[in-house]
Amino acid sequence: MTTAKPILLAEDNPRDAELALAAMEEQHIADKVVLCHDGAEVLDYLYCRGQYKSRLKGNPAVVFLDLKMPKVNGLEVLRTIKGDTNLRPIPVVMLTSSREERDLAESYSLGANAYVVKPVEFHLFLSAVKELGTFWGMINEPPPEGACCGS
Amino acid sequence: METATNDPPQTSLAPAHVPEPPAGARPIPPEPFWRVPITWFRALTIERRVLASFGLVFVGILVISAVSYRNTRILIVNSGLDTRSHELVQLLANIDVAMNDAEDSHRRYLVTGETSYLEAYKKLVEQKPTFIKYLEDLTQGSLEQQQRVVELDRTMDRQLRAEAEAIAQLNEHGREAVMQLAIEGAAKQERGATHRIIAELELYERQALRRRVMESAAGTTSTIILLGVGALLQLVLLASVYYLIRHDITERRRVAAELQRRGELLEAANKELEAFSYSVSHDLRAPLRHIDGYASLLRKAVGKSLGEKPARYVQTISESAKQMGQLIDDLLVFSRMGRQEMLLTTVNLDQLVKSIISDLRLDLQGRRISWRIDTLPEVPGDPVMLRQVFMNLIANAVKFTSTRPIAKIEIGVDRPSAGEVVIFVRDNGVGFDMQYAAKLFGVFQRLHRADEFEGTGIGLANVRRIVHRHNGRTWAEGIPDKGATFYVALPARRSRS
Repeated sequence: MTTAKPILLAEDNPRDAELALAAMEEQHIADKVVLCHDGAEVLDYLYCRGQYKSRLKGNPAVVFLDLKMPKVNGLEVLRTIKGDTNLRPIPVVMLTSSREERDLAESYSLGANAYVVKPVEFHLFLSAVKELGTFWGMINEPPPEGACCGS
Repeated sequence: METATNDPPQTSLAPAHVPEPPAGARPIPPEPFWRVPITWFRALTIERRVLASFGLVFVGILVISAVSYRNTRILIVNSGLDTRSHELVQLLANIDVAMNDAEDSHRRYLVTGETSYLEAYKKLVEQKPTFIKYLEDLTQGSLEQQQRVVELDRTMDRQLRAEAEAIAQLNEHGREAVMQLAIEGAAKQERGATHRIIAELELYERQALRRRVMESAAGTTSTIILLGVGALLQLVLLASVYYLIRHDITERRRVAAELQRRGELLEAANKELEAFSYSVSHDLRAPLRHIDGYASLLRKAVGKSLGEKPARYVQTISESAKQMGQLIDDLLVFSRMGRQEMLLTTVNLDQLVKSIISDLRLDLQGRRISWRIDTLPEVPGDPVMLRQVFMNLIANAVKFTSTRPIAKIEIGVDRPSAGEVVIFVRDNGVGFDMQYAAKLFGVFQRLHRADEFEGTGIGLANVRRIVHRHNGRTWAEGIPDKGATFYVALPARRSRS
């Protein structure tokens, strides 16, 4: 069941990132998490460029995307992923503070696979991240590897 | 354009103010009589001013028409009378000539005995009744003239009779007997009399004619003057009506432009508010999450060695963060309710309330509640928003009856009327003091301490906001420790908001 594929977490706020990692630690999947600090870094990772030029080939099992990020925001990253034939199969989960209707609507219309509002209460946040990690990182069968980046 | 337009825009549509007397003038001097109509006029609304002006124009037109009609009638009657007078004068001349001829030829007959000279006389005898009849017709309406006609009739009879006697004498006694008569004329006296009467008739008729000509001329002049002055007055009146309407329109345009400007400002403010609440939604929540998150991590890291007091401190930090998170969420919902597009359909309140109560099942566990729910009508409205309204009201009723052994909650229709549907939610809970009723629907207003009943105090603010957006009303009645009733009045017919 467990896949070797990494989980890509896009989170610009280091505290949120730390809390999310703490949650995943409890599920023993923290070592699979690749943390990106903005949208541009996510795209660099996905297209194997910049600092990720020499990474192991292959798409991540899932991308957790924050909406509000510096440089390239979550919706723009989502649009790029879902507009690229090679990247489109990657499950994308929006993980955000916003419950705004227009964000929800736009995310789904761009092809987001899930939309999760970060709860303020830590135990709820903890269980949400745990469940997300378990589901997307362990339970869910990721799409078969098609063409890889660079090809 | 206008010299006295210092009124604020909202009052300019209302009756204009009467100019106030200068300050300090204690006994108000009586208004000069000529100012009374002006004061009256200025106190009228624009509609009444225009109406009054058009009324004046109408009255003016009526007066001009009436006077012109009367003068024209007189002209027509006079011209008819003139024609008659001319005919009369002509007839009188003819009669005079005919009588002269008759007398002349009669004398010749008496002298010569030649019967052909009697033709003119015979003709006159024959024509006389026609002449008189004709004269009577033409002098109708003038008693004086008719008396003259009677007199003329009589003298003519006398002349003809005298002439007839002369003819009889000639036939009886021969020419010698009538020689004297023939020389003098058989009816010399009578002839003179008829001639005088005819002259009188003619003179009188000519005088009447002259009088009427003068009268007609005067009538025509007065009509012309009246028409001219009247037209001028009407023009002045119409011009002032035009000015009034134009001034009013200018004023209204100005007000409309002002309203539009304010609307734009309001829209901009709304946009700003939206951006603000969006950033609140994102940015304010993150630090709260961190506070609670790190407090939890701290608790976990220190573990059992954390003392009782420090454990309570950490717990309080977490709880405060959660509470603030709840406040922000509620505020966001409230803000969203104010700007969210409304989806107007028909909402079945009966089904709505049933589904709300079924959703509240978890909260109702362990509670004894006696429900009394009337059959509720359908209303036009936004189903999601109205659900929020009744969810808040019912949840409140459930919450504030939690201290009762058996809670009684009643939902029904109050005072059914054509214009609106009034729904009430009544409970036997802790109620409230009516002196705080105005505060009930305010944002974050609470009438109970936080440790009595939980809640942020946004529910009823949302209720009011949604009901207002439906063009409805909402109010509440309560008695402390006896219960409360919340009313929601919604328009029964669809109305654009």
